[in-house]
Amino acid sequence: MTFLSDIGRFLLTLKGMFKKLENRQMYGKELIRQCTEIGFGSLGIVAIISVFIGAVSTIQTTYQLVSPLVPISTVAEIVRDTVILEFAPTLVCVVLAGVIGSRIASELGNMRISEQIDALEIMGINTKTYLILPKIIAALLMIPLLVIIAMALGIWGGRLAGAASGIISPNLFDKGLMSNFIPYNVFFALIKSYVYAFILSSIPAYFGYHVRGGALEIGKASTKAVVISCVLILFADYALSALLL
Amino acid sequence: MINVENIQKKFGDKVVIEGISAQMRAGQCSLIIGASGSGKTVLMKCMVGLLTPDQGSIYYNGNSFTAMDHKSKTLIRKEIGMLFQGSALFDSLTVEENIMFPLNMFTKDSTGEKLKRVNTVLDRVNLSGINKKYPAELSGGMKKRVALARAIVLNPKYLFCDEPNSGLDPQTSLVIDKLIRDLTLEHQITTVINTHDMNSVMEIGDYILFMHQGKKDWEGTRKEIIFSKNQQLNDFIFASEFLKDAKDMRMLEETGKIPNDRDLDQMIQP
Repeated sequence: MTFLSDIGRFLLTLKGMFKKLENRQMYGKELIRQCTEIGFGSLGIVAIISVFIGAVSTIQTTYQLVSPLVPISTVAEIVRDTVILEFAPTLVCVVLAGVIGSRIASELGNMRISEQIDALEIMGINTKTYLILPKIIAALLMIPLLVIIAMALGIWGGRLAGAASGIISPNLFDKGLMSNFIPYNVFFALIKSYVYAFILSSIPAYFGYHVRGGALEIGKASTKAVVISCVLILFADYALSALLL
Repeated sequence: MINVENIQKKFGDKVVIEGISAQMRAGQCSLIIGASGSGKTVLMKCMVGLLTPDQGSIYYNGNSFTAMDHKSKTLIRKEIGMLFQGSALFDSLTVEENIMFPLNMFTKDSTGEKLKRVNTVLDRVNLSGINKKYPAELSGGMKKRVALARAIVLNPKYLFCDEPNSGLDPQTSLVIDKLIRDLTLEHQITTVINTHDMNSVMEIGDYILFMHQGKKDWEGTRKEIIFSKNQQLNDFIFASEFLKDAKDMRMLEETGKIPNDRDLDQMIQP
């Protein structure tokens, strides 16, 4: 019952965002602020995760490819496809669900508890439009960009680890990267990143916006938002893979 | 003027406020008083539209707020300023940005004009020169005054204050009370204050509504409250021996048996 009422309230919250803007300039400023926080604020962690994932992929793939019949450049192909199809969009977004999701939920939860949302309502501002919509749009704009950066850094990390450990030379790695490349994989990864961006911004926004109680409830809402976002991201990963691949 | 007519609000099966009617006039401080859980905050939230009453109507200058569509309510809300119990300042914005926020959202004034207005209201609440400070750097009393400055920056017709003195020392409470009273008189604002601060009741309560268990139990002026025979009201307001003595003193003052030479303006001088 709670599950159904949560779905209903979530849909009503989304519907409530689409109202006339009181002042486009103020909404634009808020959107830029959110883009900066979501995009640049997450760049560091995305870069670190991507490089290490790429590096580990190279080493572990080589470890499993024991047959001398398989050319070593195949490692680069596997690393490329794994990073593009799964690691860059899914793993990075699961981490971002923790980083961005908890920030959104706790920010809105704190605003709710300290009556800042009520203060905005009293001023005649549509708080769903002003507080939630810019976060979702910013996530939809910035997360696909972060995923593209994660793809590039992941592959670079794999190349670096291959060269550093003497597994595969940069030239062979580059040769492997070029062979059997399917551009649709990048398109598919971007579709996934848009879906994940919506999930990891809207779910925490919903839980944060509707917090009731005190500081403890903010923490609970934040944790719940991150857990549900992660589960939905993994579910969406399966559903999209089954539908589009 | 605000007219409240037969307001009722329930949460589930629990009736929180029932049959509340009141009239709050421009240029007066109207106080809603009552023990914790008596429904004061719910009544105020119904009045400003944060909650929708289950029954009854609220009229702003004769226009039914409860029957209005969203667009008309938004227009009325632009004439409302509200001071929240916890100040509700935006943490990520400076004092100047906090006060400028309603101006940025609802006016097309130039930055210079907006800054001038911010400085005027900051000066009015005696907080000049703190423009660049963040809320976290301010004391409780300063936060309340900044929140008051933000509430009046658009020259509201209606000012709502939810527990404006909670958590403040008596001297700062007097400063806030005096500010609210002066602003109410200067701009002929209809001011509604939710409080259980007895100083406020006795100093600025032009109209007092006493709530008990969700119902209106008494209404009158600060002079009438001294002579009230309502037991619930007397138990609530004059709860301690000290306050009972103060009441007796006031009765003597009001009946002219001893002189009353107190002045709120002088009381808050350093």
